[in-house]
Amino acid sequence: MAALLGFIVSPNSGVPIYRQIVEQIRAQVAGGRLEEGVFLPSVRQVAEELAVNPMTISKAYSILEREGTVELIRGQGMRVKDPGPAGNGKARKQALMPLLQQVALTARLLNLSPQQVISALKPLLEDKS
Amino acid sequence: MSDVPLDLVAATKRYRDKIVLDELNLTVPAGSVVGLLGKNGSGKTTLIKAALGLVKLDLGSARVFDQPAWHMDADAKSRLGYVPQVVNLYAWMRVRQTIEYIAAFYPRWNWSLIDRLLTEWELNPRERVGTLSVGQLQKLGILVALGHEPDLLVLDEPAASLDPIARRDFLKALLEIAADGNRTVLFSTHITSDLERVADRVAILRNGKITYHGELDELKENVKRLHVTAKNPLTGSFNVPGAVRLRVEGNEALVSVKDASGEVIDRIRADYEASVTVEDLNLEEIFLEMHYD
Repeated sequence: MAALLGFIVSPNSGVPIYRQIVEQIRAQVAGGRLEEGVFLPSVRQVAEELAVNPMTISKAYSILEREGTVELIRGQGMRVKDPGPAGNGKARKQALMPLLQQVALTARLLNLSPQQVISALKPLLEDKS
Repeated sequence: MSDVPLDLVAATKRYRDKIVLDELNLTVPAGSVVGLLGKNGSGKTTLIKAALGLVKLDLGSARVFDQPAWHMDADAKSRLGYVPQVVNLYAWMRVRQTIEYIAAFYPRWNWSLIDRLLTEWELNPRERVGTLSVGQLQKLGILVALGHEPDLLVLDEPAASLDPIARRDFLKALLEIAADGNRTVLFSTHITSDLERVADRVAILRNGKITYHGELDELKENVKRLHVTAKNPLTGSFNVPGAVRLRVEGNEALVSVKDASGEVIDRIRADYEASVTVEDLNLEEIFLEMHYD
C-alpha cells in the first residue's frame, strides 16, 4: 500500500531536504507514478529509511497537504489526491521552468529578442519526428 | 515543559589574553535539534561546558531549564544528558557495571532502551572499559547519557571518533531520540553532512560569537552564490547588500549573499545590465563562504 518510493535524498545538497522530497513527490504524482488513493509511507518510516530528521519529513508532507497534492486521512496517513487535468498540467509546467529559465538566461546573453527565441523554439515543439 | 532548555546571554570567557566566548548569545528552543558548527579551536567545547556549568563564565549568564548553570539543582541535572568529547569512565569496570553504576544516580532508567542499544551497537556488557576502542568508548559514553531519558541531550563532537557505520547507527539513535519532539538536542561537530541529516537548526560559532543561528532549511534557502555577467566591467563599482564574499574579474562577478531574494537579484540585473545565475550552496560551502576574509 505505502509506496516507498524511490525517494533519493542528498542531505549535503544546497537544496533543503524537505524541498527535495516535496519536488519528488510532486513529480511522481504529476507523472502518474504515484496514483490517486495511494498512501505515502509514514513520516517515521521515511525518516528512518533516509536517516533524516522526522521533522523534515513532516514539513514536506504538510506542504504537500496544504497545496492539495495529498490529503490527511485520520489514522491512516497521507493519501494522494487526484491531480486533475489542471493540476497535472501545472505541475508538469513547473518541472519545465528551470530549463526555461536557463534558455531565457542564455538568450539574454546572446542578445536574442523574445520573438527570436520563440520562433526558434516553435519548430522544435512541433517537431513530430 | 515550556522552559528554555539552554540559554546563554552575553556569555564571555577568557583564557589569559585569549577571548574564547565574546558576549555570546544562544537560546536553544525546546524540541529542537541544534547543530553547533565551528572550526577547530573556535570554542565549541568551551561554549558547551559553560552552558552546562562545567566552566565558569567571566561575564554574562548561562541557564539550563531556567536555572543558573553554575548552581543547578538535582532536578535540573536529572533532566540533562551530557557526552563529553573525551569520555572518561573507570577503566577497571566492565561495561554493564559502568551502566549500573551510573543508573544508580537516577530515579528512573530505561533499561530496555539501553539493552537494545547495547546489542545494536555491538557493545559487550562483560568487556572492561579499559580495553574498549575509542569508538566503543564513545558509544558507551552516549549510552550512559541516554539511559535516564534526558529532556536535554548535549553532545560534544559525538561522531568524531566513530567509523562511518557506527556514525550512521549513532545518527539513527539520535533521530529516534529527537523523534518524540519533546526532547532537545545540542551537538557540536565539524562534520557538516551529519548535521544536515539530523539537525533542524544550526548555530555557527566564529570569533567567540554566534554568527548565525536559525533553521538549517532557511539558511540553505537564503544563502546563495550568484554568478553575475554584466555588459560593462564591474571592477571597482560592483557591490551587493548582504554580500558575504565577493570576487570580481572584468565584467564578471561571483558573490555569495546572505539573502538571495528576487529583489536583490532583480536589482543586480537592472543596476549593472547583468545576467545572474543562482547557485545553491550546501552547508559546507556556506560555512566556507562565511569563514572567508
